[in-house]
Order: sequence, then structure tokens, then C-alpha cells
Amino acid sequence: MALSLPPGLTHAEVSFLAEMETVTIVPRQRLDSIDLLSGKTPSLRPPHRVDLSLWLALLLKKQRRANIVPPPWLHPASLSEIVQRETKENPTAFSEPPPVPSRPNIHQPGIAARQNNNETVQLSPPFQASCTADAPAGYLPYHWMEVAEMLLTFAGDDMISLGSAGEIRGLLRDLTEVRAAKMRDSTKTLGADGENVGGVVSLRGVGAMELAENRGFILGVVDGMRRIGASVEATRREQEEEMGGPGGGGGGGGRGDDGDDDSDEDMGI
Amino acid sequence: MDIDDILREVDPTFHSIPKEKQDLQELTRAWIAERSAPELLPWPPNGLFERINDNIKSQIEKVEEMTGDMDPRTNFALIVIQTELERYKYLVRSYLRARIAKIDKHTLHYLSTDNLRSRLSEMELAYATRHQALLHNHYLSSFLSSFPPQLQNLNDAAGINMVETPDLDAAVFIRLLKDVFVEGRGVDSDVTMDGRESDIVILRWSDAKPLVEAGQAELV
Repeated sequence: MALSLPPGLTHAEVSFLAEMETVTIVPRQRLDSIDLLSGKTPSLRPPHRVDLSLWLALLLKKQRRANIVPPPWLHPASLSEIVQRETKENPTAFSEPPPVPSRPNIHQPGIAARQNNNETVQLSPPFQASCTADAPAGYLPYHWMEVAEMLLTFAGDDMISLGSAGEIRGLLRDLTEVRAAKMRDSTKTLGADGENVGGVVSLRGVGAMELAENRGFILGVVDGMRRIGASVEATRREQEEEMGGPGGGGGGGGRGDDGDDDSDEDMGI
Repeated sequence: MDIDDILREVDPTFHSIPKEKQDLQELTRAWIAERSAPELLPWPPNGLFERINDNIKSQIEKVEEMTGDMDPRTNFALIVIQTELERYKYLVRSYLRARIAKIDKHTLHYLSTDNLRSRLSEMELAYATRHQALLHNHYLSSFLSSFPPQLQNLNDAAGINMVETPDLDAAVFIRLLKDVFVEGRGVDSDVTMDGRESDIVILRWSDAKPLVEAGQAELV
């Protein structure tokens, strides 16, 4: 009864999530609005484009009731630009994630504020529309690998407008390989080379499937390093405490930006 | 209603997020978080789970009504509704099972203090208490009763604590939802990082927890 999977999403769960991404379709048949648990679907009137969840779009596609509009980032020009950026311009980091949807601010003309800024709920992938026809080109969304794979497999004929499937798949493979190498290299910053082992590592721009693939390995390295270094860490915290800084404590801080505060307190003592 | 609200209503770029979509996102986030966090997280507040369960129930009733008429046009709508229903049911089931797995693993720990007990839903609490009682009785009748009385406890805290606890320092991945400072403890140094929105960060769960609870980050 209880779930026997290890912590962290598996590949199948990640692709289930990716199916919640929103895509744009061009309906080929009329279909009235359907009352779903996630809200009413827009009524389909060909040839008006609508945005729908990917799982529904694929269902309509299989029934030949709609065509899927490929997201701009899947265009070969966009993909090769990203490959270029990943290999030449910034060979160590992942390329930037898509910008947060924003709109002009009424009070401060010229400065865009994020959409729905005053909402308490904030959308994040897969609910952020990053695979629709309006999505910006040149940025890989969080679920890029799964969405690209599903679109090419189940809606390959709709992707023809972009270029040959072979070309797109080739570029996607290049991306996968370049980024997999970066993922492996990231373990160096995790402290696997025996140098300074810090507490925070940023993998900005990484994709969901890439995380799922490497989760076990990376978390294993981080947790392993922590166990090996547990006594070193305990000694360091003791020393910091003796030196008068509030250092180790529960909150964490103590180094870096907090350095000034610490020395101020020292002066006080 | 002030001028901002009026402007917002006529602003075509502004879509407020519908309630149903918010609920789905919250359920999805809760599920991902429960699947990734090393410890049991609090039961979702504001009756989210109960609301979703009620919706699922009424949707099932609707499907039963619709299967009556065999009009081919409603037939496709039925397929769509059922597909979505299955997706929701999967989410709910996987979420509950992930929680039960954690409760089973560290039952005594989650029953030990009121604070920890409050994370469990009513049903989960009843399950955990009864399961533990059954287990204890079984152990008693099969072997514990032949031990000396002072060794019969299952939750001795003297000396080495017998109650196993989840590893709160296990590493997790989080996505930042706001621009915040991220503080993380490391082996050789403690780091403060100037985090930007949509950064994906690896750090210890004990450091990530305050950010996640404040809604500044989510587990991925």
C-alpha cells in the first residue's frame, strides 16, 4: 500500500508532470466546452487557436481533432542558437530559463512588472505557459526534453513546418549531450574533488528530466560528502563558537555576507 | 474597488488564475514536495485535499450519469473527462501513498510530540496509532513478554534513542520562486548565495525548509 519508491520524482512521474504543460492547438473540429476538474476547457471553433494542457492536446491529436502548434523554442534556429550558447558562449553553465511572464507597470512606465504580481499564488512550471505559441524562442523551458520528445513522437507531422524531424532530433541530441557533460561536471563544485565543500550549489536552467536522471547520483555525492565530513564540520562549528561568533547555530549564516555583523558583535564583547 | 481594479479588468494581459487551476497547482506541488522531502510535511491547509476529493466524487457521479446516453458527441467529452479523472486520482493516490510510506517508516517519531502529530490528517493519525498498537501487541505476545520488564519498551530514549528519525540534513533540490538570499551549511564553510527567481539549488533540507515554508521556494 505504501509507496516503495525512493525520494525524488522518477522518470515516469516527471513525464506525467510534463503533460500538464500548456500548448497551443489549432482545432479541426468543433467541440463544445467540457467541464473538467481543472476548470472548463475553451470551446473549440476551427480555425481559432486555443491553449490547452498537453495531455488533452495529444488526445485531440490522436483523434485527428486538432493540430498542435510547435512552441517557438523547438525551431531549429532557436535550438542551434541555444547549442551555440551552451557550447561557445557559456561552456560551464546551463543556458538561462525562460523569463518570467511580465507586463508593463501602470505606475512606473518603462519598467515591466511580473504578471499577477499581487496574486498570492505564483505559477511555476509546468503551469507557467512556456510551451505555447507565444513562448519566447531561445530559451529551454523546465520540461523541454519531455515536451520535445512527446511532440516529435505523437505530433511529428505538425512539426514539419519547423524543418525535418531528423534535424530537430539531432540538435536535441547535441543539447542533451552538452548538458549531460555539464551535469557531471557540476559534481566538482559539489566538492567531489576534495576542495572546499560549500553548502549551496545552483544549477540554474537545468531541466526536469536531467534532474531526474542525475538525482540519485548527485544527492548521493552530497549526502556522502556530508557524512564523511561530519566530524570536520562539527569541529569547525565548535571553533567558530569559541571564537565568539554566533557562527554555527541553527540558522546557518556566519560566513560570507554576514562577516561584518560578526566582527561588529566581537567589538561589542 | 479602486482604479487599479478597474484598469485590471479591462487589461487583456491580466488573467487572474482560476480557482480550479490554483487547486491543481497546489495539489501538484504538495505531491512533488512529499515525494522529495526526507520528512513528512504538514497536511495541506484550507481544506484543499477535502475539496479536491469532493470534486472527484461529484465528477465520478457525472460520468456515471453520462454513460447512460450514448450520443456520440458527448461520448468524446466523456473520454476526456475520464482521462482527466484518472490523472487526478493518480496524483491523490501517489500523494497519500508517499505519506503512508513515511508514516510507516518512522511511526513512533511522528506520534512522539503534539507538534509532529499535527502534521497528520485525522485518518492518518488513527491509522498510525492503531497500526502501532497492533504491532506492539504482536511483539508483546510473540517475544517481548519474555524480556525483563525494563527492556520491553519500544521507545526508550535513555542512552541511545530507539526512535528512528528521518535525516533532516539530507540534500534536496528546490526552485526559488522569489529573489532571496539562500543560506546553506556546508562541511568546510557556510555559504550565503544571492539567489534569483527560478534558480534550481541543491542544499540541505534543514536549510531549505524555512524558504519552502515561507513560500519563497518549492521542492522539485
